[in-house]
Amino acid sequence: MSEFSLYLLQQLINGLTIGSTYALIAIGYTMVYGIIGMINFAHGEIYMIGSYVTFIVIAGLMGMGIASLPIILIVALVVAIFISSTYGWTVERVAYRPLRGTNRLIPLISAIGMSIFLQNFVVLSQGSRDVALPPQITGGWNFGDPSLYEVSLSYMQVMIFAVTFISMTLLTLFISRSRMGRACRACSEDLGMTNLLGIDTNKIIALTFIVGAALAAIAGLLLGLYYGVVNPFVGFIAGLKAFTAAVLGGIGSIPGAMLGGLILGVTEAMTAAFFPSEYKDVVSFGLLVTILLFRPSGLLGKPEVEKV
Amino acid sequence: MTSSKLYNAIFAAGISLILASLMIGIKLDTDGSTLAVRGATATQWMWIGGGIAVVFFSQLFSAQVDALFGAIPKPNIKAMLPQDQKMTTLKPWLIAALIVVMLIWPFMVSRGSVDLATLTLIYIMLGLGLNIVVGLAGLLDLGFVAFYAVGAYTYALLSQYFGMSFWACLPISAAMAAAFGFLLGFPVLRLRGDYLAIVTLGFGEIIRILLNNWTSITGGPNGISGIAKPGLFGLEFNRRAKEEGAVTFHEYFNMDYDSSYKVIFLYLIAVILVIGVIYLINRLMRMPIGRAWEALREDEIACRSLGLNRTAIKLSAFTLGASTAGFAGCFFAARQGFISPESFVFIESAIILAIVVLGGMGSQMGIIFAAIIMTILPEIAREFSEYRMLLFGLLMVIMMRWRPEGLVPMKRPNLELKQP
Amino acid sequence: MNQFRKTLLGLSTAVCMLGLTAAAQAETLKIGLAGPATGPVAQYGDMQKIGVMAAIYDINKAGGINGMMLEGVIYDDACDPKQAVAVANKIVNDGVTQVVGHLCSSSTEPATDIYDEEGILMITAASTSPSITEKGYTTIFRTIGLDSLQGSMAAEYILTNAKPKRIAVIHDKQQYGEGLATSVRDLLAAQGVKAAMFEGVTPGDKDFSALIAKLKKENVDFVYYGGYHPELGLILRQSAEKGFDAQFMGPEGVVNSDLAKIAGAAAEGVLATAPKSFDQNPVNEARVAAIKAKGEDPTGPFVFTAYAAVEVMTDAMTATQSTDAETLSDYIREHDFDTAIGKVKYDEKGDLTESTFLVYRLHQDGSKTPAE
Repeated sequence: MSEFSLYLLQQLINGLTIGSTYALIAIGYTMVYGIIGMINFAHGEIYMIGSYVTFIVIAGLMGMGIASLPIILIVALVVAIFISSTYGWTVERVAYRPLRGTNRLIPLISAIGMSIFLQNFVVLSQGSRDVALPPQITGGWNFGDPSLYEVSLSYMQVMIFAVTFISMTLLTLFISRSRMGRACRACSEDLGMTNLLGIDTNKIIALTFIVGAALAAIAGLLLGLYYGVVNPFVGFIAGLKAFTAAVLGGIGSIPGAMLGGLILGVTEAMTAAFFPSEYKDVVSFGLLVTILLFRPSGLLGKPEVEKV
Repeated sequence: MTSSKLYNAIFAAGISLILASLMIGIKLDTDGSTLAVRGATATQWMWIGGGIAVVFFSQLFSAQVDALFGAIPKPNIKAMLPQDQKMTTLKPWLIAALIVVMLIWPFMVSRGSVDLATLTLIYIMLGLGLNIVVGLAGLLDLGFVAFYAVGAYTYALLSQYFGMSFWACLPISAAMAAAFGFLLGFPVLRLRGDYLAIVTLGFGEIIRILLNNWTSITGGPNGISGIAKPGLFGLEFNRRAKEEGAVTFHEYFNMDYDSSYKVIFLYLIAVILVIGVIYLINRLMRMPIGRAWEALREDEIACRSLGLNRTAIKLSAFTLGASTAGFAGCFFAARQGFISPESFVFIESAIILAIVVLGGMGSQMGIIFAAIIMTILPEIAREFSEYRMLLFGLLMVIMMRWRPEGLVPMKRPNLELKQP
Repeated sequence: MNQFRKTLLGLSTAVCMLGLTAAAQAETLKIGLAGPATGPVAQYGDMQKIGVMAAIYDINKAGGINGMMLEGVIYDDACDPKQAVAVANKIVNDGVTQVVGHLCSSSTEPATDIYDEEGILMITAASTSPSITEKGYTTIFRTIGLDSLQGSMAAEYILTNAKPKRIAVIHDKQQYGEGLATSVRDLLAAQGVKAAMFEGVTPGDKDFSALIAKLKKENVDFVYYGGYHPELGLILRQSAEKGFDAQFMGPEGVVNSDLAKIAGAAAEGVLATAPKSFDQNPVNEARVAAIKAKGEDPTGPFVFTAYAAVEVMTDAMTATQSTDAETLSDYIREHDFDTAIGKVKYDEKGDLTESTFLVYRLHQDGSKTPAE
């Protein structure tokens, strides 16, 4: 392979890595939107909390003298999912449920408020500076011609792909096969009708928030380990990107969120590869605007039918 | 009933314990180069305990709490304001008196207060602008700060490169912001609700990033400094005239130099601008176009079937809102004397939106109150400055929970036919 | 007119409610301390506070200035330019005539307009942007070297000591970082060394893998980074993971023990220009001990520059027996001061004539040693 194609491959790997975590976070936005039609602005903060919890658990376990990495990671994953889901559930219960059925803007404002609240809650409780974790999973494969360009694929990147793939598969199975998943789909078709059919829609909506938060927690764990740094402000930026990804793929559609995340990640990496990297956000937002202009409901979204 | 209440309360307290203990109770700390955790101090645990107790009891007595919140705020503001009947008999002299009070007031208080009032007036202007878009036309714009930035940079650049005065730039700034509003609005207004929100958000970010990166023109992150302050018919308010041959205000009128004149003059301009904007919007709301905005917000399909031109109506709202932000931006640049992209970040859009929502969407009165609260409260509560943003977020949630219509709900301007 | 009248009525009543006058009855001499007490960069504000408060404590213990006790008044601008103007106006309002601050250059810049106009002496202990002292203001000084000094020092070191084959200059698109990066690039270009890459990153970003792949493709062996430690730490860490090993160099903004915490072993050997470590200076031994005794950290880069700022002010006040900013400014321009950061001498613009910077090599345990 030529130097150029190797370089392209390297950037593609980088893009897919970041893109798959965008996809994980984006699913939380898209599921909530699909069912109750609101933007859960605080979702990015749930991801940030997931990262913090991961760090706390890892530091705590290592402090206790447990050295086995797989055990540490599994415990961290379970605790992060549990705590983040609890936060997700609480946010829904406190800030959104009482507002259901009001003007569309009202829950959105409440969500922006919740996002600001959670961010500053973490600033106050954990401090605003970067918290760093030493690299846990190091090493990787190098391939390509060293005299031309060496492509590196780290174990951590492979782990991100693998975990994202497993989570997505499990989610798809859950949505398409389980009873709860069927109820979820019913809710996103017609909330009122589902309720009439004797399904506790409140429970399903809460479940949506829990599942979304769990996926965000997984993303928090992966990105926390990958970058090794977390601060209270990471949630907002990641949330914004993930939300863009969700809209790009068609908000409300789960495969759309996956696709949108990957497209966004690759676009960013490619922009940074061939243009000054400070313009990558301009390009990703520009892409969003362009796609919405030609496909107003995103790539895989269903066109909304206006009813009187 | 009571047992389920108790169960609820215990459940809520348990959840709070889980939420609090991991984030507050355990703190990440770096020990040398490794990460370590340490527990919270006894006082922190006491606070956590206290918080959980509050959650427990508020759940136990949730009905009473709800009733309490529902009961308190409403009569408050109503009582503070004159009754409608009185208002209708208000003579123009009262308005004149009010304006005079606003004009005289700054000469009696300190410079800091006047400056704060000026900042508040900027936010009022921004709130009123966004109110047209969000409150009246029902278009959710999360990137309003972009137009504010356009206005500010228009004045800054014209002043820097062409030496144009504030007064000449004021209409140009508004026109530029309006032009941007028009350009953005044209393609995106066919998008519905939430899509519009994200696109405008993205647009706000794009403008900021462009300003930040276009170093050769905008100075990039260095911003633009030394922006001229407005003068009065060519008279400057400086201690020494900046330009050769220019006359300063105090020299012309043969007064001693007083630094507060400049601040007061800025304040007065802001007052005039705000009054102008309020007057204009009030007129517009009564015109067919204003009615059309609200009709569109209420029911888009009905509007279209009545033959209203959806695009024209939305565009007019968007453009007008943007031009108001342009005014505010131009004025902001004049007040600061220095602008950089840092002043035009997303949180600024969120604050303006919060002003509109807290005040009551569509209600000008409410927006003025909300703008005042949002700018004054942090100044008063300086001791709590650490908690400022936390409380700000909490306030937004609580307001939506118990008073979604805002502090002063909108009252539609209406006429009643007198029964004979 | 109904609605309009009502709105106006509300507006005016509300504006009247603003009439909060601050009673400023000074028995002590107030020194304003303007900087971020909240917000993401509050930790730098703390450094400034530690220095100023320590200086005030020491001076008061020694009997105060001209028979008056000093009092430090904290004004929080959160490093927000808009709040900086409000703070400056408040300082004028409170009758404070000496200010240490502001911290971020973007806050200092709009505030200087007001201080100069109102005759307030301002000494910044942290703002390094050259444009602050370029407007011909008389009462604006600093106790920290300029960006340009740091840039020329870095460029000189690169040319004479490091001698890289291919150099990249990266910055964080902020006033401080981009200013430095530009000056390094231009100085290198003047000597015939052309940077292979000159590019910005987004502050707050976490993913630099695309940038590193690009650096690797350009075969860069030396990277100058203009910016702060969080981004550089991540760049170092991700470079190590991706097998990109170039020599990195940064300004004093990256000299922070957090750099090593973020980058781990990758932080070893990074070069940085930084003010001399004043806390290592034997002159400051007692001061360092006193700060440590209060449970505060004396190692921050702005602690002793802030300390020195107070010293310059008070020395001038003792000598002139005055608090008038013009008198003090004239005195400060014409005299030398012996401060916690060594001998201080000013040029016409209000900048230090001698650079207080040195090139250091940083280590993974967070310490630094002078570079060879």
